[in-house]
Amino acid sequence: MANNNYYLKIMNAGALHRIIGNCIEVFMQKNLEVTLEMKGVGSREGAKRLLSGEKCDIIALADQALFAELLVPDLVEDYFVFATDQIVIAYDHFSRGSKEINSENWADILLQPEVIFARSDHNLDPCGYRTLMVWQLAEKLYNRPGLTHELDSACLHYSTYPKSLDLAGALLAGKVDYAFLYSSEAKQLGLPYITLPSKINLSNPAYADYYDQAAVSVESKIPGKNIIIHGKPIEFAVGISKTTQHDDLAKQFVDLLTGHEGHAILEECGMIPC
Amino acid sequence: MSHLQKITFSSDRLIEAQLLLLLQIKSSHGYELIQRLNDADFTIEEVDPATIYRHLRRMDKEELVKSHWETGPSGPGRRLYTVTKSGEELLSQWTINIKQQKEKLANFLKTYEQYHNS
Repeated sequence: MANNNYYLKIMNAGALHRIIGNCIEVFMQKNLEVTLEMKGVGSREGAKRLLSGEKCDIIALADQALFAELLVPDLVEDYFVFATDQIVIAYDHFSRGSKEINSENWADILLQPEVIFARSDHNLDPCGYRTLMVWQLAEKLYNRPGLTHELDSACLHYSTYPKSLDLAGALLAGKVDYAFLYSSEAKQLGLPYITLPSKINLSNPAYADYYDQAAVSVESKIPGKNIIIHGKPIEFAVGISKTTQHDDLAKQFVDLLTGHEGHAILEECGMIPC
Repeated sequence: MSHLQKITFSSDRLIEAQLLLLLQIKSSHGYELIQRLNDADFTIEEVDPATIYRHLRRMDKEELVKSHWETGPSGPGRRLYTVTKSGEELLSQWTINIKQQKEKLANFLKTYEQYHNS
């Protein structure tokens, strides 16, 4: 196949940065004359950019529900769930309270006045609205009315580190003690993390009905209007843009990401291929 | 036939039999299988999604199940798993093994109760 200097653009969730990068490396070894460029975005932000007319060939997002809400059928026809993950609380060994924190007392540690913790922007990044859902579900699970409000008030403002990757950087730089991230991000950065109960960490389809009780208001595709989204098990998905000029190459890349080679890369990066 | 010789009874390995049975009843994708496994109440411990997906990938490689992408009229495409002939044969072996284990466990309980009631 003569792929003379073909160019493909991939818009991907920031949390998929290393995974997509590794897949590109494998893909380009097999397709020497194809150039792939990746653009890391907050998934909600990225889907909206496509709605505003920005072009790309492949879209890999941190929430499969964004495809149905924003992209199908006008911009994407089919999309495929390829990985899952969970929300964790990442920290480093210098974080205040890191010797005491565990999966039961985490809320009390975070609410100590000297502790700084953060989440990403729920309007841009699924990790942001998923964190709010985790707090709501924790309030129910631990029977602590008002916990969501307490955590929200004590948390750094979400605009400080709008995307989960910004947040991971802040943690590594010692600017925050704790950050709500995907477990794969914490593993990739070698950060220790607290695993939350599966009833609240959005990892388990067996608790889909329980997760559905959590609801967050986010900006919709209509400016000035919000929509309510409900908690779901975390699922990452990929689709091909209807505007691509290189459908075959885009399909080859999606096959790589969702096939055996992609599975190995996802596992190396701490995600669960599915 | 190599699958038939390797059955060892452990809770981790038993998931293989549980998944094969559920897939024999109905082809499913991983998300749905996790929900069905939870509803079936086969295990004392909570179903761990990572374990289920890992088993499904291994069973796919070993041709106990086969998979393909299923795209519906709405919603995302998901990998749909179906049990193979080898998988059905292995499930039969598992069933024999489980019946034997059930007898051994009953023997244990009987001996325990006899000793404590005597």
